[in-house]
Formats: sequence, C-alpha cells, structure tokens
Amino acid sequence: MTHVDLDDLADLVLDPDATPDSVREHVESCPECTDRLAALFDVRRLTSGEPLVAPPARVREQVLAQVNDVPGDAPVRPVPLQVAAPPPEVARPRRRVPVWAAGLAAGVALVAGLGLGRTTLDDATTPGRDAPEAVVAAADLTALDSTAGRGVARAVESDDTITLRVQASELGGEDGFHEVWLINVDGERMVALGVLADGDAGEFQVPRGLLDEGYLVVDISVEPDDGDPTHSGVSLARGELV
Amino acid sequence: MNVPPVEQTPVLLDRRAPRRYVDGVVTGVRDFEEEQDDVVRSLAARLVEGDESALEAVYDRWSALIHTYALRALGDAHDAEEVTQQVFVAAWRSRHTLTPSPSALPAWLVGIARHKVADVRAARARDAGRLAAAVALPEVRHAEEQSKDDEVAERLVVRQAVEELPDPRRTIVLLAFWEELSHAEIAEKVGLPLGTVKSHVRRGLIKLHQQLEGVRHDSRRP
Repeated sequence: MTHVDLDDLADLVLDPDATPDSVREHVESCPECTDRLAALFDVRRLTSGEPLVAPPARVREQVLAQVNDVPGDAPVRPVPLQVAAPPPEVARPRRRVPVWAAGLAAGVALVAGLGLGRTTLDDATTPGRDAPEAVVAAADLTALDSTAGRGVARAVESDDTITLRVQASELGGEDGFHEVWLINVDGERMVALGVLADGDAGEFQVPRGLLDEGYLVVDISVEPDDGDPTHSGVSLARGELV
Repeated sequence: MNVPPVEQTPVLLDRRAPRRYVDGVVTGVRDFEEEQDDVVRSLAARLVEGDESALEAVYDRWSALIHTYALRALGDAHDAEEVTQQVFVAAWRSRHTLTPSPSALPAWLVGIARHKVADVRAARARDAGRLAAAVALPEVRHAEEQSKDDEVAERLVVRQAVEELPDPRRTIVLLAFWEELSHAEIAEKVGLPLGTVKSHVRRGLIKLHQQLEGVRHDSRRP
C-alpha cells in the first residue's frame, strides 16, 4: 500500500476541497496517514499567538558575565550561590525568596542528590521534665531551597497537651524575628504558634486536636517588625511532623 | 502576581508591508533548510566543546523563544528575565549532556526552561499567599499547568520555526497562518503567482511540522 505523500496531506489541511477523492479515501482507511494528517492539523492549530519577545540586553550581559566567572572546563559544580546581582528589584509588597536564589539552590539540591525523607531516629526521646512525656512526632527542619538541616522540632506529649519543642539552627542573620507556624497538610490553613524569643529555640503548647486535624508542617519564618500579623512569605525552615 | 511594565521589544515580526518577490525561489529553499540544519548541528558541537562564542550564538538565536516561554508561563517580566538568564547559564554548565542534532538544541533549552519555571513556581508556592500550593501541591493542578506550558512551548517552537524560514516563505506563511489571508490575497500582496504561493505555504507547513516533531521527539528523550 502506498501512502499519501506529505505534500498531499498538507493540501488536505490547506485546501481540502481541492484534494482528490482517492487521497481522501486512502487517508480514511490508513491509520498511519490519519496520524500524519492529525499532526499537520496540529501544527496549523499551533500557528497563532503573539510573536516572540526578546529579553532585555542586560540578560545577555549577565549570562556572559556568569559564564566567564566559571572556568570553561569546570565540571558542574553545585556551589556558587553568589550570582551576579539580579536586575533592580521591582518594588514588591512583601519580600520573598529571590527567584534566582531559589532556582539555583534547587539545582544544587539536584546535583547533591536529594536526601528527602530523612527521619530522626537518634535522640528520639528528650529527657523529661516533671511529668512523664513521650515524643509523639518529630520533624527534621530543612531549608526550603535545599536539604540543608535547620534543626529539629519535636512534639512531646504530657497529659492532654502537646508541647512543640523547636530547636532550630543556622537560620541566618536576616533582620526580623523568627516566628513558628503550623501549616495544615491540606494547604489551606495555618496557625501562628509564636516567636522564637532567643532566635532559634522555643516551646509552644499546642492543643492535641490541632495535630489530629493535620496541622503537621512546622514552619519558621522571618518576620519584619511591621505590625503585620500574617506570614511574611519568607520561610527559613520547614519540616513535617512524622 | 503583578506584571511590572517592562521593555518588551517585540522582535522578529515584521510589520512592514510585505516586499514583492521575484518568482523562482521555491527550489532554493530546500538547500537553505539543509544548510540551516548544518549550522545548528555545528553550533551544538561547538557548544559541547566549550566554545563561548557558540553560547553567544545560541543565546542570540533562542533567547527570545526561552524568554517568551518563561513570560507566558510565569506572567512576570522580572521572573522571566531571571529564568532566561538561568537557562543559558545552566545550558553552558551542562553542555556536556547535549547531543548535537538540529532539533535537540531547542528541545534541550526548552527542557531546561521547563525545570527553571517549575523552580520559580515552587518558590512562589512557598510564598504565604500561595500556602495552599506550598504544602500539598495538588497533582491535578500541576498536570494542568504542565500541559498548558507544553502547549505554549509548542506554539513558540512553531513560531520560531517560521521566523527561521527564508523569505519570501516566512512572509507568506505568516500571512497565511497568522493573518489568515487567502492564497489569492497573498499572491496579490507579495506579487507572486498563486501556484508559487501555494507551494510556499505547503512546504512551510511541512517544515513547521518537521521542526515540531523533531523538538517533540528530542524532548521525550531522557
């Protein structure tokens, strides 16, 4: 069986009325030609939309500057986080993780081999205070844009309350205070637990029901002293209680 | 996300009145296409070898494609610039992974751009305002976004392929597919016989098809 050639199939897309019946009949009975015809129609469907938009010239300069920073033959290295300064920030209502840093760091994490899902089995119990207590859940805190450890949070139980003990580390020296949040795994709700008074450690009483409801993601944010009670959007560490 | 005003320079679309062409260029186009493929192949080879001027050439040729993709996917000019920058820096640093073939280069760049766009989305998801997405990114939404992105990418790949056609084919294809002019109207406009116009449109469609298939094929490769 000879297939319809591509030119004829193209004509079937462009000028169906002018296509001989023999071509049409063959295509109808031939899955292969039908597929190719569908592919051509697909192209035609994709021919619309706006023209390409070139990036501003500074992007090119930045690319070349970065490339020149790294010796040409260097293997892919996970480290250089200092990048040429991004273009001047457009005023944003709230700060957030600069995109360029997040992207780079995500790349770093990939290169380093993702080590997600670590669990803390060591030191699973902390010495009790007065009442007998048990660690019911723990979260390894990590940076958001890498797997770098940022401490640990433990939920310990005594009587009917849960105490969340947060021991964070390496949160960085950014201005502002560190606030602890519990985010629900449904992704829609969160509660503020309070501030880490000394910067990286603190204890918070949590109603047991909260954990049962799915508030399991411990989040530490850096909050500017601006009177805004909502999350700043800048999370320094996070981990899920398991 | 606010879209701050940007200097967006629409390039490549030539809004001038189409020139009128002398007939007889249809056959020359095939050689041109083969030559173009060779150019891309050798560009890829030079890039793999670590030739910085190849990176510049790759940037000049595909940065608009990547930038437009990022702009459409992210809707933010600043983020789109960052992504564009990251893509070409990443392309340089991981150039050893590129297999030189005419369509592999754009497919590879688009693939890198996809990852960078995903990174930006993940960073945004961590934003308090997007908390919902941060904690449990619903798979469905992700899949929807992905298929929308793929469609955008393909549209842009096609557009790029048109821009790379030699004139008058490029102009004729733009008039036929983007301006939706009839073949007769195009013939009138560019001053070429109807048959010549038809032939250009047909060959143009096939070329776009081949380019798109190539990119699709190369995107699927691990």
